[in-house]
Amino acid sequence: MNSKSIIRIALGAYLIIFFSYLLGPLVVMSMTAFNSSGFPSVSPWACFTFEWFRVLFDDKHIRDGIYYSVIIGLGTVLLSVSMGLAASIVLTQVWAKFRSTYYTLIIAPILVPGVVLGISTLVFWDRVGSFLGAGEGSFLNDLFHNGIFLTILGQSSFIASYAMLVFVARLQRFDTGLTEAALDLGATHTQAFRKILLPFMRPAIASASVLAFLASFENYNTTTFTILKYKTLTTVLAQKVRLGINPSISSLAFIIIVLTILAALTFEAYRRNQDRKFAISQGKAVEKSGGFLPSFMRGNPAAIMLVLVSIVVIVLVGTAQRYSPQECKVQVREAKQAEIQLRIEELRKQRLIKDQSEARQGPDIFGTPSPDEEEASKPSGAFGGVFDPNNLSSETEEEESSGGSGAFGGVFAPTNLDNGDGN
Amino acid sequence: MSSGVAVDLENVWIKFGDFVAVREANVNINGGDFFSFLGPSGCGKTTILRAVSGFLEPSDGRVLIGGNDMAGIGPNKRPTALIFQNLALFPLMKVWENISFSMEVTGASAGERRKRADELLDMIALDGQGDKLPSELSGGQKQRVAIARALCANPDVLLLDEPLSALDLKLRQHMRTELREIQQRVGITFIYITHDQGEALTMSDNVAVMKAGVIDQIDTGHNIYDHPSTPFVASFVGENNVFRGTIKSVSGNEAIINTNRSGDLLARITPTQVGKLGVGDDAMMFIRPEALELGKAQETETTISANVVNEEFEGNSFSVFLEGDGGKQIKMSVPNLGQDNISAKGENLALHYDAANAVVMPAGELASE
Amino acid sequence: MKKPMIFSQFFRNNGVIMGSALMGLVGFWLIFLVVLPQLSMLDYSFRFNLPPAEVGGPRDVYTLSNYQHLIYGSDKTHSTYNTVDLMVFVRTIIAAILVTVFNILLCYPLAYFLGQSKGSGFVRLLVVLLIIPYWINEILRAFALRIIFGDSGLLNEVLMFLHLTKEPIDFIRQDIALYAGLGYAYILLMLFPMYNVIESLDRNQIEAARDMGASWARIHRRIVIPHAKPGIVSGATMVFMLSAGALAAPQILGGPSSLWFTQLVYQWFNDSLNWQQGAAYAIVLLVSTIIIVLTVMRIFKVNMGDIGK
Repeated sequence: MNSKSIIRIALGAYLIIFFSYLLGPLVVMSMTAFNSSGFPSVSPWACFTFEWFRVLFDDKHIRDGIYYSVIIGLGTVLLSVSMGLAASIVLTQVWAKFRSTYYTLIIAPILVPGVVLGISTLVFWDRVGSFLGAGEGSFLNDLFHNGIFLTILGQSSFIASYAMLVFVARLQRFDTGLTEAALDLGATHTQAFRKILLPFMRPAIASASVLAFLASFENYNTTTFTILKYKTLTTVLAQKVRLGINPSISSLAFIIIVLTILAALTFEAYRRNQDRKFAISQGKAVEKSGGFLPSFMRGNPAAIMLVLVSIVVIVLVGTAQRYSPQECKVQVREAKQAEIQLRIEELRKQRLIKDQSEARQGPDIFGTPSPDEEEASKPSGAFGGVFDPNNLSSETEEEESSGGSGAFGGVFAPTNLDNGDGN
Repeated sequence: MSSGVAVDLENVWIKFGDFVAVREANVNINGGDFFSFLGPSGCGKTTILRAVSGFLEPSDGRVLIGGNDMAGIGPNKRPTALIFQNLALFPLMKVWENISFSMEVTGASAGERRKRADELLDMIALDGQGDKLPSELSGGQKQRVAIARALCANPDVLLLDEPLSALDLKLRQHMRTELREIQQRVGITFIYITHDQGEALTMSDNVAVMKAGVIDQIDTGHNIYDHPSTPFVASFVGENNVFRGTIKSVSGNEAIINTNRSGDLLARITPTQVGKLGVGDDAMMFIRPEALELGKAQETETTISANVVNEEFEGNSFSVFLEGDGGKQIKMSVPNLGQDNISAKGENLALHYDAANAVVMPAGELASE
Repeated sequence: MKKPMIFSQFFRNNGVIMGSALMGLVGFWLIFLVVLPQLSMLDYSFRFNLPPAEVGGPRDVYTLSNYQHLIYGSDKTHSTYNTVDLMVFVRTIIAAILVTVFNILLCYPLAYFLGQSKGSGFVRLLVVLLIIPYWINEILRAFALRIIFGDSGLLNEVLMFLHLTKEPIDFIRQDIALYAGLGYAYILLMLFPMYNVIESLDRNQIEAARDMGASWARIHRRIVIPHAKPGIVSGATMVFMLSAGALAAPQILGGPSSLWFTQLVYQWFNDSLNWQQGAAYAIVLLVSTIIIVLTVMRIFKVNMGDIGK
């Protein structure tokens, strides 16, 4: 093998590892959205189900979170895009000596940890409130402690920097002669701005707005300090993830992933279309008519795969209308109970052996932990996992395993094992 | 259309920090004139234009348009319209919207604007092209749209910043004539800046020749060519043979210069230096290539003896390159009237000229190539 | 008298309305959203945590006690050190540095590959694949890793299935989950600056070097890396600042022994309601990360202007 193919193989391996690291967790997470076990997992795979999506849609916190995230997002877009645009225009005019200081100042918010931005916003407006003498219950006091107000300001402080970067890039291609021409022809500065500069900046404004909205929507570090009594989707998710996990979060993730992929593909298709139109107008490409696949998919393996996957999903959704996970769950429960029964039998046997050996040796006064105790005290492992509260999947199973009711009674309770005989 | 309005620069200085871009400019432009500022790049002509149009304020002195001091009045309030070097057509607007922009900013209705734009499109021979975008036009067409846009603003003064420099030769020559025609038809004052002396001479009523911020001469094109007042003007405008030396004698408006290498020569003193040029002064004499003729060999004060080095056929003329005593380079130009050639290599020729066609003046800086 | 000249020039260039609008927006942003809040926080960090009634009263004086708390803990005699908090701080910084280095090494090959390939469909596909994970909320991404690294998570199941381990490894307690999560979170921010800068490298330089017989190691060391330096430092700066200041990943993926400094700040604010103490800790975090970043930039001779996508 020559060095070139070694490099190729190494490159291929590297790419595979890299992208598995990057995309693997997402794939796994999506799969857990469809598993009916209570804790998001891929194995053991219980039943295929859509119920977590229903749980997701029913969750009021998540709905509120999305609502406020959108409101804050819109506010942040308005504020940060205008500030960013103003800052970029001023950058082109600022006196050369001050330029690097000025640039450092407007770039700094990107580097400051989000946590610090959140805290400083909170602290500052509280101070402003007390400085202005706003007492409890006054309008200003409420405003300066309003989660939405504070979050918009806190987020905008650094999102405006991102917007500014977008605008600076676009502004560099602007011919200042155009503004001069407009002025020369009698326009006021405001007219020149509105009629000449703004239309030129429109694509940049669009992309900056999208960027700002996305950055606002997914922000956590700053928002978590400034949001106070309100909530955004990210803070709701963070709460849920820390306090009680269930696969409804996975289903949210799955939805977002699908939306993202669709958006990315749409954008890619749009761009290819633009490129083709441009090439045609230059006389380089020819209108290809007919063909089985729509143009954007030709030569794009990802798109083809996605279409196939979508077909599969649609088929599944269609069949799922008739498919009920209930049966599957009952089966799973029965299978689990059968397994538990087997284990109990084993335990009994071991107990028997132990009793017999004890009878020969004398009682064990020091209480070396018996094998079953060891097993029971471990939080995980194939057997103990059944008792793990995190593994609770549906309400019915929960009832059965926690209470003393149910066909197997107290056998499930770990404490019952070392003193109960199970006989 | 507005009638011509005078533009005056009174003692205008324009400085950027320590750098003096324009030094003590005094210019009086008559209303309705086609006036050009001619000079090499960096001589300050664009700076003057920007001062007149309002993008710059002079550091000293006044700019007057129609007799009114323009100090503190911004470019959007002055009765001027500027045609930029790169035209600065608004790329996102259609041609008719570009042209009628000056009406848009005063709030005219779309109907009025369209009508006026169509009139102007007619005038510049682009009727029917109003709905195109600037990117769809050729260089010459864009030129004309820029002019129409400026005219639509009804300016008293139209300022043009080297508008033809981006065009190819044939188009440039065509546009020269067109611009002159438009100006005479419309009758407003045109202020034109260029580094191409051919343009300045053909189009203008008056020309100001500039070098390094200083205006050397303001005169008609004819006078600038025939009676340059400084060595710079003499060497910048057209081609000129220059003879350096010292003044031997002066009589009235003529003088004899004792040249370094070509003996004593007689020439006319340039009008601005009559009475100022004295015996013993360092001086330069200029004589145009076309003013030299072939003649009988003789020793006079209007004859130069030289040997032919080379001869080039220029189409409408022959250029003969000669070398005189001491290696002095001389160029002679003879109209092509069907001769096969003028001279033979190495041949010794006697060049005659009329003293009225030679001009002498105090020595100074020449235009560099 | 240069200052007034600048302002009058500015208003002349922009007109009164536009000029005021521009100054107003930029001023509001810089003064009210950036500078003053930081100063407020700085001010808070030097004050006592007083109930509202005592604010402005005689006990409301400046003090270093909040900072002293970080070093000495609650011990007023300053004889013992606040090892817990100090350890957390040191560990956070070191971990952030390690994560940054890990990211550099991880992303460099890919950045090079992408930067030097022609814009084929494959490359575009890779870029799309890269961007998709980042449209997904960082919380969800951390959550995904939590699922995988959990006790009954995929990784443990696979390892046990392969009989590589008998019992599940507690990744979370061992902080591996956290580091993997942090490394994962900011890959894109490291990748794109490097990619941009490598893309601008003229392919011919590399060809010329190859032509002259240079080994790949030498080419990278002497040609690519010096050219890519601003991109690498830019990416590293962002990853470092974001890792040191990360909150979601430690909260979700961190075990009890891997407390992150930001979590301390969070606790002071939300659990203890001691804003002043939290502010002091936040200032410490801010100042130390800035010092580290500036030092690195000075060492590698990169300036602020290079940071920016």
